[in-house]
Amino acid sequence: MRLPKFEYVEPRDLKEASAILNKEDGARIFAGGTDLLVNMKHRVETPALLVNLKKIPDLNFIQVNGGEVRIGALTPLKKIYNHPFIADKLPGLASAASAVGSYHHQTMGTIGGNVCQQNRCKFFNQSLQWRSSRDLCLKAGGETCHVVKNKRSCYSTYCGDTAPALLVMEARAVIESQGGSKEIALESLFSGDGKRPLSMQKGEILTQIIIPKDAVEGFSVYTKIANRESIDFPIVGASLWASPERSDFRVAYTAVDRKPLRAKKAEEALKGSKIDQQLLEKAEGLVLEEAKPVNTSVYPSAYKRKLIKTLFAAMINQVMGRSEL
Amino acid sequence: MQKELSVVGARLPMLDAGDKVKGTAQFTDDLVLPGMLHGRILRSPHPHAKILHVDTSKAEKLAGVKGVLTGWDIPDRKYGIVPMAKDEYALARHKVRHVGDAVAAVCAFDPETAEEALGLIRVEYEVLPAVFDPLEAIKEGAPRIHDDVPNNISKSIRKEFGDGEKAFEDCDEVFEDTFYSQAVNHAPLEPHVALAQFDPLRGEMVIWSSTQIPFFLRRNLSSTILIPESKIRVIKPKVGGGFGGKIDMFSKDFCACWFARALGRPVKFVYEREEVFIATRQRHPMYVKVKTGMKKDGTIHAQRFWAHADGGAYNSTAPLMITLSCYFLMVPYRIPNLVYEGYHIYTNKPVGGAMRGHGIPQARFAVERQLDMIAVRMGIDPVELRLKNSIHAGEDHPGGFIINTCGFAESVEKAADAIGWKEKRGKLPYGRGVGLGGASFPSGVSNMSHLASGAVIQLGQDGAVTVLTGAADIGQGAETVIAQIVAEELGVPLDDVRVTAADTGITPLDPGTFGSGVTVRAGNAARLAAIALRKKLFDFIAQKLEANPEDLTAKNRKIFVKGSPGQGLSLQEAIKEYRYADLPMPIIGRGAWMAPAQEPTTLLKEAGNFAPNYSFMTQAAEVEVDTRTGKVKVLKMVTAHDCGTPINPLLVEGQLEGSIVGGMGQALYENVIVENGQVMNPSFLDYGFPTAMEMPDMDGIQIVTDDPLGPFGAKESGEGTQLAPAPAIVNAIYDAIGIDFNELPVTPARILQALDEKRRSGKSDN
Amino acid sequence: MKRAVGLHVNGDTYDVLISPNETLLDVLREKLGLMGTKKGCDLGACGACTVLVDGEAHLSCLMLAVDAVGKKIVTIEGLSKGGELHPLQEAFIQKGALQCGFCTPGMILTAKAALDEEASPTEATIKRKIAGNLCRCTGYKKIVEAVSSVAASTRKEG
Repeated sequence: MRLPKFEYVEPRDLKEASAILNKEDGARIFAGGTDLLVNMKHRVETPALLVNLKKIPDLNFIQVNGGEVRIGALTPLKKIYNHPFIADKLPGLASAASAVGSYHHQTMGTIGGNVCQQNRCKFFNQSLQWRSSRDLCLKAGGETCHVVKNKRSCYSTYCGDTAPALLVMEARAVIESQGGSKEIALESLFSGDGKRPLSMQKGEILTQIIIPKDAVEGFSVYTKIANRESIDFPIVGASLWASPERSDFRVAYTAVDRKPLRAKKAEEALKGSKIDQQLLEKAEGLVLEEAKPVNTSVYPSAYKRKLIKTLFAAMINQVMGRSEL
Repeated sequence: MQKELSVVGARLPMLDAGDKVKGTAQFTDDLVLPGMLHGRILRSPHPHAKILHVDTSKAEKLAGVKGVLTGWDIPDRKYGIVPMAKDEYALARHKVRHVGDAVAAVCAFDPETAEEALGLIRVEYEVLPAVFDPLEAIKEGAPRIHDDVPNNISKSIRKEFGDGEKAFEDCDEVFEDTFYSQAVNHAPLEPHVALAQFDPLRGEMVIWSSTQIPFFLRRNLSSTILIPESKIRVIKPKVGGGFGGKIDMFSKDFCACWFARALGRPVKFVYEREEVFIATRQRHPMYVKVKTGMKKDGTIHAQRFWAHADGGAYNSTAPLMITLSCYFLMVPYRIPNLVYEGYHIYTNKPVGGAMRGHGIPQARFAVERQLDMIAVRMGIDPVELRLKNSIHAGEDHPGGFIINTCGFAESVEKAADAIGWKEKRGKLPYGRGVGLGGASFPSGVSNMSHLASGAVIQLGQDGAVTVLTGAADIGQGAETVIAQIVAEELGVPLDDVRVTAADTGITPLDPGTFGSGVTVRAGNAARLAAIALRKKLFDFIAQKLEANPEDLTAKNRKIFVKGSPGQGLSLQEAIKEYRYADLPMPIIGRGAWMAPAQEPTTLLKEAGNFAPNYSFMTQAAEVEVDTRTGKVKVLKMVTAHDCGTPINPLLVEGQLEGSIVGGMGQALYENVIVENGQVMNPSFLDYGFPTAMEMPDMDGIQIVTDDPLGPFGAKESGEGTQLAPAPAIVNAIYDAIGIDFNELPVTPARILQALDEKRRSGKSDN
Repeated sequence: MKRAVGLHVNGDTYDVLISPNETLLDVLREKLGLMGTKKGCDLGACGACTVLVDGEAHLSCLMLAVDAVGKKIVTIEGLSKGGELHPLQEAFIQKGALQCGFCTPGMILTAKAALDEEASPTEATIKRKIAGNLCRCTGYKKIVEAVSSVAASTRKEG
């Protein structure tokens, strides 16, 4: 499967990159390429211009400052989980980064690219030839969603591994554009619209991810259930950050909805209360009120719902150091 | 048993291992010819439709496009691997029958242009009602997929052995259960490729193809594109895995040849991975119902078997597939009375074909699962049940098999011991379990046409041995095994032997790689050729040595009188003497071998000895089921395997280990998922066959028998080993969580669902 | 638009004319004639196209050739030195860690990247790192054995 034709530039700095992205319609940021190039071969993304950020200095770094961690968007996933501080103090992030694809994807793929990856759907992630059997789906520019027969919404699923780990640490994102630089909650990057999953505007570039220093004061985990122990996207992935002393819990999921999902109702329910079986079951119920997976993959949504519950209990128990229920 | 062997029986790396690690081994796509063009196939987006009109004009006008073909541009000739079941066109005429059916082909000066041109061909279809389930397809009023086949039943057999149905009257207990095996893709790492070149002066076509069956391909090319067989030369370069998926011809072969002749330039077709999934072959999905009649003491007395195989849109190997599934029900257990009813049914889906085990794994899954269920119901240990009913060497087989050697009972005992059956079965904590399954497989096919293999060996004046064999090495090491046999007979080291194989223009006839027959069939042919060559030399040297030719032996590049290594001469000297005596050089030996059979028959009609010999094996598994996620981890897998006397134990181990992971894939991971005729997971990512992370601990136990018909006592080892891993694993899951799964694959989702149902029905987990 | 670039492959610099949409895999095979790098799926899910880029395992089917400019590429053809096989190549032969050989070049290069990163990895680490390289023939056992044997010999030397 050959790539479609496109133009290609290697800007020397962010300003230039942002200017190009602003000016050129159909320009796309190009980083590790492991997600974008597959979609381009499938012709579900056909940017006219790829803007390679890898030649821009200083986007590949990990800085630790008094507990706060700053990660350049172009930092390879492998570098993240091999970083001693992250491996030791932010195990949820380390384990999420090492759960991405295979060793190759972890070598080539960047944290920025992993966070900003395209949503997935069994009707979308297919070749041009494959998709010619049906009308174009909503996400690919058509008018029909083949998963949910609804013309307005695209239910494609966000499947990134690192996002839930970052969300539970309340990570922030640095976005650069010609207008300057801004810092936003990473969570607000995700629009919840399957068709256009990122809320970034034209010309905006994710340059840094900041993990606030409070993150190291809690314990974090990432648990991934996939068909195989390598290569695959999660069937369901979940991350928990917890500070049992403060009775503070944060939970986020991936591969269950159009965006990585914080289970805020469940978090609220756990906050300040004594965790017992009854409370856990109540919280599990609340998670399922928020996470509503649909059949966008070959794994049935009923199975995803079971995993959502299972992983919730498993992670809480892991953090509370309790035996399995 | 005199066996002082030097090369046979040794753990030797493959002859071409060096090329493979250096990246210099040439697969078909690695071949580049001057002026080469690139072809692609346009495929049907519909599962069932009439082709009303194909407009190729825009594609033809695209700069760089050299030609476009449709089904109407080539002769109206069907092809098929089984002569009686030809039903497929190189490019569809009038009708498409599955998503992925070939509709048109383009040829361009580079691959990118060829791909672009596909998008410019306009095809007008009239979409027809389609059918996707074989049980629906046979119903009255179902869409007819081939005009001449009512009910979509393209092949069926009904066979009775012993007292047939009546035998159930003599049974103490009768059990009836149903099973389903899914579609599995071979997923060889190398996609299907063809490269063709035509010489207009001689009118000769040369095609390099990733094929398991060069001679069948030649025959079908000849009858389809109408070039005499003598003018077609099929060459098989290295093949990057076959597993049965390259036992057939495909549009790429025909179209490459057609374009090469029409355009006067070499043409290459390389399939995309997606095309391998939707437009080559797959393991037949199969519904199976088994009724088994037991005697109180645990003896199987009678079996009634119904098989509905989902053939997809075309026949491919249909008749052979249902025949295999029938006859191999009567091994490895003694089944005195059997009624078999099997159907190969067309559906508007990807095409079923030969895949490692070929029709038998589906039957084996059903029987081995049901045996475990019967064992529970009757309170008999599954190992005891299998031992009690094991067939033995020399026993009568109701279907006419002649079983000269059989290590099955021993394989059951050894596999059970190695997995820790006595300590573990029923005794492990909830979620852990052990299980096993048995099987038998033919070493090649004797009672079919096109079954002889030939070999020619020449010994040059430099002492180099060149073997010409038609055998098709697809990565399993056939050429190495053949070279070992020849080296042994000629008393030379393996390094002295060169093999030229699978080139219809040079090498003798051979059926190809299927039915796991290469070692026995082509190995015997090569052995006879080596013996013939040696005889010429020995007859001559015996005069010089004033010895009897029968008393001579060859070893370590020396010829000498047996027992007196001093009384002889080096091979080099022997050749020199031979040459100086004006005897013709090179010294040539010729051999041909076919399995002894009374008459070439097809078992569809009558019973008979299917193969020269039969391998037997038991696989045992230990699994751990995560009852929260439904995931199954295969912890350990044991294979106890009677493959006769291994020619190369290193390569045999490789076959066992590969089969275990392949079988595990079938049990737990793999499924070609089809929705409305469309494969939903036609990629390595979504199909998801096991990686190194899923690999269990593996233990291979070789049970050595000395088969009289195998070369140096050998039997097959390539296919039989993939028959029983799936039932062994699913039987172990039963032991772990007390749930019977009778459908493959046993996915985590199914396990959780079953656990929920069990909970709801009020039974406790423990 | 096509551009003239220099690609550093196996110690040589090749001047080639390439379009941005050409993958490194296609350029290696079609323009440089380095056929040892295989195309198994072309979508980054099998590892058959693995090459080393500045010493690290990359999927050449998901890498733009233009993006490889200025980097040191090593393909399977560049692994043996002066006719002498790399210890991994030798181990794959001796342990029978290959059958059809189609996944072998990529598998060996991934193993090399893994061992260069960590000379004496555990068996679990070896499995994790080669898991992106699919093999349909061997069942992986002998591959893991072969890589382990080289890792162990490295350990002894070190």
